[in-house]
Amino acid sequence: MRHNFIDRYAALDSPLHILEPRSKLLAFSALIIAVLCIPVNRGSLFFVYFFATAILMGISQVPLAFIMGRTLVILPFIVLASLAVPWKGYLGLGILFVRAILCLMLLILLTNTTRFVELLRGLRKLGCPQILVMNLGFLYRYLFVLTEEAMRMKQARDCRRVGRAPFRTELKILSSMLGTLLIRSFERAERMHYAMLSRGYSGDFPVVSPRKYSWHDLALLSGVTVFVIVTVLMV
Amino acid sequence: MTDYALRITRLSYTYPDGTKALEGIDLDVPPGERVAVVGPSGAGKSTLLLHLNGVLTGSGSVKIMGLNMEQSNLQQIRRYVGLLFQDPNDQLFCPTVFEDIAFGPLNLSVPEQEIPRRVEKALIDSGLDHSFRSRSSHHLSLGERRRVSLASVLAMEPAILGMDEPTSNLDPRNRRHLIKVISGLKATLIIATHDLELVLDVCSRTVLMDHGKIWADAETRSMLSNAALMEKHGLEVPLSLKSGVRSQ
Repeated sequence: MRHNFIDRYAALDSPLHILEPRSKLLAFSALIIAVLCIPVNRGSLFFVYFFATAILMGISQVPLAFIMGRTLVILPFIVLASLAVPWKGYLGLGILFVRAILCLMLLILLTNTTRFVELLRGLRKLGCPQILVMNLGFLYRYLFVLTEEAMRMKQARDCRRVGRAPFRTELKILSSMLGTLLIRSFERAERMHYAMLSRGYSGDFPVVSPRKYSWHDLALLSGVTVFVIVTVLMV
Repeated sequence: MTDYALRITRLSYTYPDGTKALEGIDLDVPPGERVAVVGPSGAGKSTLLLHLNGVLTGSGSVKIMGLNMEQSNLQQIRRYVGLLFQDPNDQLFCPTVFEDIAFGPLNLSVPEQEIPRRVEKALIDSGLDHSFRSRSSHHLSLGERRRVSLASVLAMEPAILGMDEPTSNLDPRNRRHLIKVISGLKATLIIATHDLELVLDVCSRTVLMDHGKIWADAETRSMLSNAALMEKHGLEVPLSLKSGVRSQ
């Protein structure tokens, strides 16, 4: 089973990969915020940002098809979200889409040029609360365990089922499976907590850190800063 | 001052749902001894292990290296006692192997520059090598995960090591390997297991538990060859003793 939904290409070695996670976090956040702030009447700016994102993608060596594929997967959620905002005409909808897609691409690029572990470390160093970072770490670690558990459960169900039951029954089975999964996760969380206590856990999650700042980081940060400022001035 | 590494007197524990898990357990273990805890499933073996470092606290008294089990001693007791859990997925909660092994020592405020050395040593002591450091535990096989779990406990350099089913679900090669690793450990060992061949290999003394009580506490070989006792408590005489494969 493939075990890397989140950071499949994060182990590459491109100029973008070797940067300190903090500078990437800052740079990408700046770009995303800028994308969110582009006024509707300056639509041409989006092309500039697409171009910048394309350059970053090129540098990163993450396959284009992968980024596109991932973006498509999340697209339905954007459609869903667009139903929730007030109707501003087709142009408004179009802009919303472009914004969302740009942000997604940037995020996918960020998570695939930085190993998740380092991303967490970067967040921590930037002052993100420990408890939040810790929980993100657990999420990453147990996503795999949970998926496997769900798959095993599905296999067990499929082995005992011949043909298809009426829709209502199917729904019932599904809901009890979800319930079981929840209880199992809950119990695992309890055992995990025991394991943490046993190794001296007392509320603070300790970490050791490797990567150092280099001139690359300075280059990325200053590049992005200049770019954002210039585009803002163009407004 | 401390004749016993571990001294349990009249320990009882009832789970919040009313299940009686332990009833009047008495157990003294001198330093360096290797004790097996055997018994059918649900006998209370795992619950007993969780009392060794105060994760669970029942009535009665538990003394570790002369320290009473109480809030103010807890941090020191957890320094002394390492617990190896049955499911490595419960034990390994960090994104990488290095962080998991470093977790314990960092909690014990071991200086940061000493951490890599500790991790290295724990990996080697558990029969693993350097290359595992940066791997993610969800990419490892069960055998490897079990050994990383062991490393995560050994990194804390515990004086007492409690293990819950260390050899369960392992293939023969990984099982042999782990037994070899366990045999080489210097800590006082408390091993809860169904693997009676492991018990014969490693432990000089065996405690038989059933329904939350201790029914027998004796020299391993003599207890495990007592067919009547073993069958009464849902166990059986290990094949190697029956067939006389093991020589004295």
